[in-house]
Amino acid sequence: MLRDIKKHKTQFISIFLMAFLGVFVFTGVGGEALGLEANVNQFYEDTNLADGWIYSPYLNDLFVEQVYLLGATTQMERQVVVDSEAVIKNEPDVTLHFVENNTISKFYLVEGEPLDINDSNGVWLDKSFADANGFKVGDNISFEFEGYKINKVIRGVGYSPEYVYHASTYSVLPDFKKIGFAYLSYEAFPSDTVPYNVLNVKFKGSPDTFNEILDYRLDGYYITFLERSQHSSVSLFSDQISLHKMMADVFPMVFIAVSMLILLTTMTRIITHQRNQIGILKANGFKNSTIIWHYLSYGFWLVLIGSVLGLILGPMILPKFIYSIMDSMFILPSWNYAWSMNFIYMAVLMVLMSVVVSYFSVKVISDEKPSQSIKPRAPKVSSTGIIERLKIWRKLSFNVRWNYRDAKRNKFRALMTIIGVLGCVALLTCAFGLHDSVNDLMVWEFNKTSHYETEMIIDDGASQSSIDEVASDVNGDEIMKDVIEIESNSTKKAGNLLVLDGTDLVTPTDSDMNEIKIKDDEISISQKMADMLDVKVGDTIKWHMMDSNKWIESKIDRIHADPNSQGLIMSKEKLQDLDLNYTPTTIVTNEPVDKNYSAIKSFSSMEYRMEGWQNMILAAWVLIYVLIIFASFLSVVVLYNLGLLSFIEIEREIATLKVLGFKTDTLRRLLLTQNLWFSTIGFVLGIPLGYYILKTMWASAGDSYYVVPKISLTNFLLTAIITFSLSIIVNLMFSRKIKKLDMVESLKNGE
Amino acid sequence: MMSTIIEFKNVVKEYKSGNHILKAMDDVNFSIDEGEFVVILGPSGAGKSTLLNLLGGLDSVTSGQIIVNNQNVESFDDNQLTEYRAKNVGFIFQFYNLIPNLTALENVELMKDIVDVDIDGLEVLDSVGLKGHANQFPAQLSGGEQQRVSIARAVAKKPTMLLCDEPTGALDSKTGVLILNLLQDMSNNQNTTVVIVTHNSILAEAADKVIRIKNGQIEDIVVNENPKKVVDLEW
Repeated sequence: MLRDIKKHKTQFISIFLMAFLGVFVFTGVGGEALGLEANVNQFYEDTNLADGWIYSPYLNDLFVEQVYLLGATTQMERQVVVDSEAVIKNEPDVTLHFVENNTISKFYLVEGEPLDINDSNGVWLDKSFADANGFKVGDNISFEFEGYKINKVIRGVGYSPEYVYHASTYSVLPDFKKIGFAYLSYEAFPSDTVPYNVLNVKFKGSPDTFNEILDYRLDGYYITFLERSQHSSVSLFSDQISLHKMMADVFPMVFIAVSMLILLTTMTRIITHQRNQIGILKANGFKNSTIIWHYLSYGFWLVLIGSVLGLILGPMILPKFIYSIMDSMFILPSWNYAWSMNFIYMAVLMVLMSVVVSYFSVKVISDEKPSQSIKPRAPKVSSTGIIERLKIWRKLSFNVRWNYRDAKRNKFRALMTIIGVLGCVALLTCAFGLHDSVNDLMVWEFNKTSHYETEMIIDDGASQSSIDEVASDVNGDEIMKDVIEIESNSTKKAGNLLVLDGTDLVTPTDSDMNEIKIKDDEISISQKMADMLDVKVGDTIKWHMMDSNKWIESKIDRIHADPNSQGLIMSKEKLQDLDLNYTPTTIVTNEPVDKNYSAIKSFSSMEYRMEGWQNMILAAWVLIYVLIIFASFLSVVVLYNLGLLSFIEIEREIATLKVLGFKTDTLRRLLLTQNLWFSTIGFVLGIPLGYYILKTMWASAGDSYYVVPKISLTNFLLTAIITFSLSIIVNLMFSRKIKKLDMVESLKNGE
Repeated sequence: MMSTIIEFKNVVKEYKSGNHILKAMDDVNFSIDEGEFVVILGPSGAGKSTLLNLLGGLDSVTSGQIIVNNQNVESFDDNQLTEYRAKNVGFIFQFYNLIPNLTALENVELMKDIVDVDIDGLEVLDSVGLKGHANQFPAQLSGGEQQRVSIARAVAKKPTMLLCDEPTGALDSKTGVLILNLLQDMSNNQNTTVVIVTHNSILAEAADKVIRIKNGQIEDIVVNENPKKVVDLEW
């Protein structure tokens, strides 16, 4: 057996590689996405993250009792959440949480003593902040807020489930030198009455129902109810998860399918080449079962070792790599890959399939009489088809005729080669397509839709006149962005409302990124939202502002497309027609701004927003490159292997032609032609398949992103270049084999 | 006067296997005239195939000279050898080695791709009695028919010589005789030089020249003044 392995070294290596790669990518990409979800869910569970937050300045005992009496909550806890400034040189912003008993959204201790609710002197500090600013357990730290100044001893450092992603108004990429959070006991609050302003609640049932119950009794007594999925840290991380899950969904399935298919083909072919030897073994009195066992053990060990290695290394290496990119952006106590039984099923399937397929390949041969199998298999009889009867056939070159007939006589081999190429092309197209679409998202958002230089967020309390003043000072336009809920066909979706007041700095577009005009009396819904609600132009939807109960019925006049904001767009006039208040939330301008206005909470430049966006998707970006690399690697293995298989099968014919006086170059071209034919067919079929996979992937990418999967010209060309250059490189490798081909040896026996 | 077309001068061929050197061809000298029907005889392992491979340009000598058509074959590089095979040598193999993808006719006309000779495939097939099978594939033909196609393929390009390696080895004796007869006719009627390697000594009586080899050396060379017709031999 070892001798056989040596003889078929390359093929055995590729069997091993395909088993390994298939399982490695499947478990690696899958383990990464599942790990993200598992880690964050574990964290949320360990710290008992709130199901919702009720914001109100009136969170006295009476209010709490009222909420309690609703009977909808299972657990409640009040906090005072205030923005403070730490008294050190760079004046970082630290959000202080004075907690009532630390039972919901608990502080997750990494170092020091656990949070003690009776300790009025201690503070439990954000570990990332502490590390960035050189604070240690036992140090003193002072904070200033609302006229108070407090000085506390750091009792512990750790994490919080509300700060997995610490958004700040200044920066998309968290800078822990400048921002942080801290937990303290309510006892530490520097006044006798503790002005609780957030009520953390846990409840059973849906957040919508809870919100309705809450409104029924307490409407007007609180400002906002925020459900868990709307919390900026939670929603941002879940967007990440769905982006990663999308890549872990179809792609690895196709990947493992292609590798399995080619692996099985290779095994079948190797065994078929052993036909003669099987015949000899049988003729010498070996039992069928002995022979079958012998050949089964062939692939079994290789596939087993490959799969098991993939199973072990996949979830270890890939997630670790991706997580190392994410862990500066997102703060989780642990970054571990997750396991799924599917991984094991897949590996077992891989091994089982290889055993079953080898079994049947050997069985077919060993069922023959040994007298038959020691002789070469009778050549398949060809027939002349329509093409061959045409006059033109005789005019075709030998090359074309030979290859046409060869493909016709070896349909299985031809089919497998085409499928192999097709699969690889689909994977490459899809991986490049992901790259293109993510890139497109950015171009679309920053160049086509929101093509303004500076975005200024208006302070909640700013007066209209002060807003107008700023707008005219920076030559800017006011727009209104709000959160709404839309209902149609009894499906409810949260979305965004964008109200435009004649600005040319925000341009609604269609799915091809072309500008569209939304008239003053029209309401436009985004394509993705329309798809999710299953509505079209002319249909009627119901919607309301998140902070109001007033449902409005509107007819859809138009559909626009937006890469990452799904919802409605209308004009100021239309909004006012519907009896709603126009309250600008944002000023946009093409001028750079570096001045602080009292009416403006924060502002950001385009460069800054783009950079933030890029950082946000960095991990997904890297994951895409990983997919591209593996798709290319698989293509190399698959194409080389398939090339080798066909070369072995036609070796004798090639040798004959060489003896007859055909030049090595002519023979090389003969093989190249065949390679190119199959590659071309595979390529032509693979592109649409890749597009289809890409489309399926984006459809599962969560509610916020709308991507029109496109196969860009670059993508197309890159895939073509990779596929065809691999074809040619593989062919060049074989031309060396043709040169070295031992003509005498190849001609000696009939086999 | 017939001219010498093939000449072996002090040909030595050694194979190395590890430290061991095997002399497959040890100082071999002979010559073959144009149009001769030559039979090379010898037991297995005597060096028959080596001789044929050297003559056919499939292998190169260790020392000595092989002169074919006044060319020094032993000095050729790979490309020249390929051209030499294409132009000078018509191979006929024990297992026919037809291209299974191509019909009988296409197998013959295949030669157009390597030599600048106008070939009428049907005419050549007719000369081996297979005109009616022109559009059949090798797998549809019997062994004898396949060998005849292979002869047609070999003669189509009008080579300097036909090299036949046990051409009847895979055929029954009756069919074998037909094949050998065809080869002898080609030699007699078309002045084609035919070199047949075989271990069947009966064929010796039909040859113009018999070269016996043993242990890599020439045992003897016999020239028959009156060779018998193949069909008249006692098989």
